[in-house]
Amino acid sequence: MSILLSSIVAGLLFGMVLAFISLGLTIIFGVMDIVNFAHGEFLMIGMYTGLFTAQATGIDPLLTLPVAALVGFSLGVICYYGFIRFLLRGPILAQLLGTFGLMLLLRNLALMIFGSEDRALHKGILVGKSFELGMGVIIPATKAVVAGLSVVAFLAIWLFMNRSRVGKALTATALNAQGARYMGIPTERMNALAWGIGVATVTIAGALIVNFWPVNPFVGILFTMIAFTIVALGGFGSIPGAFFAGIIVGLITEIPGFWDFITYTFNVGWMADVPMTSLKYMWVYLTYFVIMVLRPRGLFGWKH
Amino acid sequence: MRSLVKINVFVLCLLMVTGLFGPTNVMAAKEIKIGVIYPLTGGAAAAGRELRAGAELAAKLANGVFADIPMTMAQNEGIKSLGGAKIKLIFKDHEGNPTLGADLAKKLILDDKVDGILGCYFSSVTKTVSAVAEQYGVPMINGSSTSPSLTKRGFKWFWRTTPHDKWFTKDLFELLKGITEGKVRGVKGVSKKEIKNIASACEKTEWGSHVSGLIKDMSKEYGFNLKKSLLYTAKSTDLSSEVRSLKAAKPDVMLFASYASDAILMVNTLKAQKAHPKIIWGQDAGFEKPEFRNTLGSSIEGILTRTVFLPKLVEIKPLAGKVNAMYKAKTGNDLGGASARAFTGLQTWVYILEKAGSTKPADIQRAANSINIPGNELVVPWAGIKFSTSGEELGQNVLGSGLIGQYQKQADGSMGLEIIYPFDVSSADMIFPLPGF
Repeated sequence: MSILLSSIVAGLLFGMVLAFISLGLTIIFGVMDIVNFAHGEFLMIGMYTGLFTAQATGIDPLLTLPVAALVGFSLGVICYYGFIRFLLRGPILAQLLGTFGLMLLLRNLALMIFGSEDRALHKGILVGKSFELGMGVIIPATKAVVAGLSVVAFLAIWLFMNRSRVGKALTATALNAQGARYMGIPTERMNALAWGIGVATVTIAGALIVNFWPVNPFVGILFTMIAFTIVALGGFGSIPGAFFAGIIVGLITEIPGFWDFITYTFNVGWMADVPMTSLKYMWVYLTYFVIMVLRPRGLFGWKH
Repeated sequence: MRSLVKINVFVLCLLMVTGLFGPTNVMAAKEIKIGVIYPLTGGAAAAGRELRAGAELAAKLANGVFADIPMTMAQNEGIKSLGGAKIKLIFKDHEGNPTLGADLAKKLILDDKVDGILGCYFSSVTKTVSAVAEQYGVPMINGSSTSPSLTKRGFKWFWRTTPHDKWFTKDLFELLKGITEGKVRGVKGVSKKEIKNIASACEKTEWGSHVSGLIKDMSKEYGFNLKKSLLYTAKSTDLSSEVRSLKAAKPDVMLFASYASDAILMVNTLKAQKAHPKIIWGQDAGFEKPEFRNTLGSSIEGILTRTVFLPKLVEIKPLAGKVNAMYKAKTGNDLGGASARAFTGLQTWVYILEKAGSTKPADIQRAANSINIPGNELVVPWAGIKFSTSGEELGQNVLGSGLIGQYQKQADGSMGLEIIYPFDVSSADMIFPLPGF
């Protein structure tokens, strides 16, 4: 039973972490229909920001979040005004290839500046700490904090989008940019804001996950793929969708754990020999494929 | 008279020209180009740096005279039988990618016109690179890839100096057997029941997947119960589900084949998940890298790793001590399994070239097949280097052997490896069971 409980708890926690990472992608897509391939690279920048800020100042890695947010927001706004704004005028293919190019640029810049080696945080209040819930369920403290902050971030963004004037202007821009412009909403500024907030959320997530995940210039690839799966499952542009889809994907990555539970509970010898952990991300991509075929709008999608 | 002056001036000029260039022509010995393919960037970059430094040190000893190093190649300047020809190393970075490795091998052979190849650390890359070398008939020496299959292909241009994983894995099971028989220093006979259940996690390239297969075979052979055997990606950045799966099997002994960053991540995750097996053993690679101990500090106390070189050997083998001192002066670290074997790999190249007295591939091939380097010439604790020329393992050094070390706290508080196996050269009592995280 402890195997089952451990897997469920781990899946839920990892799911919330993944949802946090995907939040920015869904905001940017929701507002301006841009598929941002460089999303994982912004995460990588957030991770380096958290790591270097903590190392340079000696403060706890958890306290580097404001720096990561500032870096992310500025980067998002700069990217929008310096690059994305021009892409929006081109055909959809130019937008896809444009953000793909941005991904390659950022990844290779990081490679040039930081080198390809893994860097990890080894100090911090929560680094390496874990606590036992009982029944053999062990929760790594860092993941628990990131999961908690993920819930907070989702609530904050949801409230901002639905309750504040600026948020409503953003939503209006997302629904009908031309109409919004006629109503006096500065859509250009709204787009920049969406980029700022979108990138800031992912750099914050980066600064948090560097507490338990080593960073290198290629770390974004895996997360971009997973973030796309989550956003597709939840529905492109849907904020609650991204949260629930994140949890579903987190639980999907725990399929090997559920498999172990059946193996050892019912003592099925042959099941122990199936290399389930090697296939953990296969289930995620399989889910992505199935969603794309059966329900391209996703679970909560309002755009297609 | 004027023409006499002209003639004299002409003769003088001629003398000056021959004087300037003549001796240089005589002195300019041929340069021997060895293409060295290692992972210099990527997850194994730190290992790549060690390998490079090991090979460079061997080239330095071969190219210069170092009277105080009791090693034949250190006594001569360059390759004596080739008129003092110097070794030139051309390094290429395969980034852990077998396809890239094969491309680099082609470039080295066709563009740089190398006389031979050394590499590649990753067994998967060695496999593709050696296939290219075989195709072009260029000799290749492999110093540090341990997948057994590499010398089972009947290649005629491929020689491996290091022992392979079958020997190392056998060493491990001999150690486990020794624990149950009371042969291990400091451990009273332990009942087999206490260490019967095994779980393994190996990275899934050529090397790790073979180790995984060997563990399966040998656990049967030695009567242990392999409860879980899983493969994972060395580039993984999260191994928590793997560790949970290992823990679910409740093993007494956990065995790993990991490269550097994944070995660190694995131990960190085991620690976070509060795993407490009685024995943790790593099949070299990541488990004996300097960054493994630098990053994890005292939490690795009691972890075992197989290797071919431990700093403790310095006490047994003075030659190793002298070379280690030069290596430490160059890099700041002691020689390790990777650097010592890269050193030995290039050293073997030098001895083969010396014996061949030529850079023609056929002569090198003949020399390699008949070479017999005595153990007292080597920094590694092997009986020597002599390649098998018939049977199943063509090109495999038959005189190699392995060591198993355990991380223990040293007098200065740092973590160092003590020799635990072979039992007759053990340098400390074994810590058993593992203290836990």
